Amino acid sequence: MFLDTIEQTRVSQWLRESESVFGFYFILLFHTFGLSLLVGASAVLDLRILGVAVDLPLKSLKWLFRTIWVGFAINVTTGVLLVLAYPTKAFTNPVFYIKLSLVAIGLTTMQKIKTRVFDDPALGEVAMAAKARSMAICSLLVWTGALTAGRLLAYTAPYLVYGVRGG
Amino acid sequence: MNFPHVHLLLNHFPVIGTIIGLGLFLLGLFEEHHQMRRAGLILFVVLAFITIPVFISGVGAQVVLRKTGVSDSLIQRHEGAAMLALMFMEMTGAVALVGLWESYRLSRPARWNIAAVLLFSVVTVGLMARTGNTGGDLRHPEIGGLDQSTGAEGTLGSLVHAFEPEPDKISNLMIFTKWMTAFLMDLHFIGLVLIVGTIGIYNIRILGIAKQMPVAPLHRLLPWGLIGLGINVATGIAVFVGAPEDYTFNAVLWLKIVALGLLGLNTAVFYLAGIFNDVERLGPGDEAPMSAKVVAMTSLVLWCAVITFGRYIQVFQHSIPRVSN
Repeated sequence: MFLDTIEQTRVSQWLRESESVFGFYFILLFHTFGLSLLVGASAVLDLRILGVAVDLPLKSLKWLFRTIWVGFAINVTTGVLLVLAYPTKAFTNPVFYIKLSLVAIGLTTMQKIKTRVFDDPALGEVAMAAKARSMAICSLLVWTGALTAGRLLAYTAPYLVYGVRGG
Repeated sequence: MNFPHVHLLLNHFPVIGTIIGLGLFLLGLFEEHHQMRRAGLILFVVLAFITIPVFISGVGAQVVLRKTGVSDSLIQRHEGAAMLALMFMEMTGAVALVGLWESYRLSRPARWNIAAVLLFSVVTVGLMARTGNTGGDLRHPEIGGLDQSTGAEGTLGSLVHAFEPEPDKISNLMIFTKWMTAFLMDLHFIGLVLIVGTIGIYNIRILGIAKQMPVAPLHRLLPWGLIGLGINVATGIAVFVGAPEDYTFNAVLWLKIVALGLLGLNTAVFYLAGIFNDVERLGPGDEAPMSAKVVAMTSLVLWCAVITFGRYIQVFQHSIPRVSN
């Protein structure tokens, strides 16, 4: 099996079995930092759009979209390494695909908020918030789902490695 | 130093401190003394924090005490009382924290908050006294808390006991299915994101990044950070109770708690040294004073440490040896 081949590589084995503190958990830690940036920035944008801290000008938050992409970059990198360590565990788990889909939807939503609302010079602050409202609600729900799906990966894997059942 | 020692060093603080906190709060109310009332609230928050290592070290003390032949039912009774007291202590701390945040935004305290703080703190004082007494019964039978022959307790004790959870049942509740831990940890990450997002953006602005944002409105995001903190304290305690001995003997969990304590101190410095007032007035483009930047940087570093220690809890599970002294 292709996945078994990946698991037999030195890289994959090192990631799984290394006793070093810079092994699997280190990568998982940076995956957490990445999601903190990604979902943290999205949450602040969404909360502001929905009316929290209404004195904070929406336009001053435009920089947060860059933070979202930095967080995403960290998570793609760490995510690839995590999947390299446990390919069978990831690819045989339907929840993994759900998570990736939710992340894609979340990023699309945030991008839409940026292009349709923040990049429109004709919109004032109040109009911006009104236009982005339903997208912000959607974003919060989707990111909560993505976090949940990600967390559940630890508990739902049908296989840990090729031939070894998980769960 | 061992767990019974740590437990004895710390456990007197919530028992006595809650009475002092309540006294300060009441005096502050009657004298309309804003600072004294705030001091009471601060004490409740500090005690809510301290009660967590009190509880965790108690589990460690239990492991040692079990070997000396102290009755298991007495230990369970004390632990049940402690669980109930911990719950109310955390709720007191939560409403006190809200009251503190409000005291920096409003000139007069909200009536609902005064009522909530009073209610929860009075109950906590009582439950802490009960916990202290049941703890005393473990090593000091001379205080006569229990009938020596039957082990029965008095009317008031029996009445409170009816509300106290049974530690083993609560533990089982937390771990009867792995989905419980999954659910709790999922909430824990949601709390994490709220904390990092709101407190993080406030710190980042103070450090001078994204200066187009005015500072005062950012402070209004912090209640969501406090909600995140509340979720994480609650889910953290819940997960702990599921496997108390695994967590108590985990050095990394203790490091995480120390980091959280340092964050508390950092926050105290921020507000009590007036740094908060200095940054409230900052508008777009304004630079924050160096003292504020130091506090903000410390906060960011410590939160990263908290996340790091949290992630590594799984790795260092039996890192504190169980030695019988």
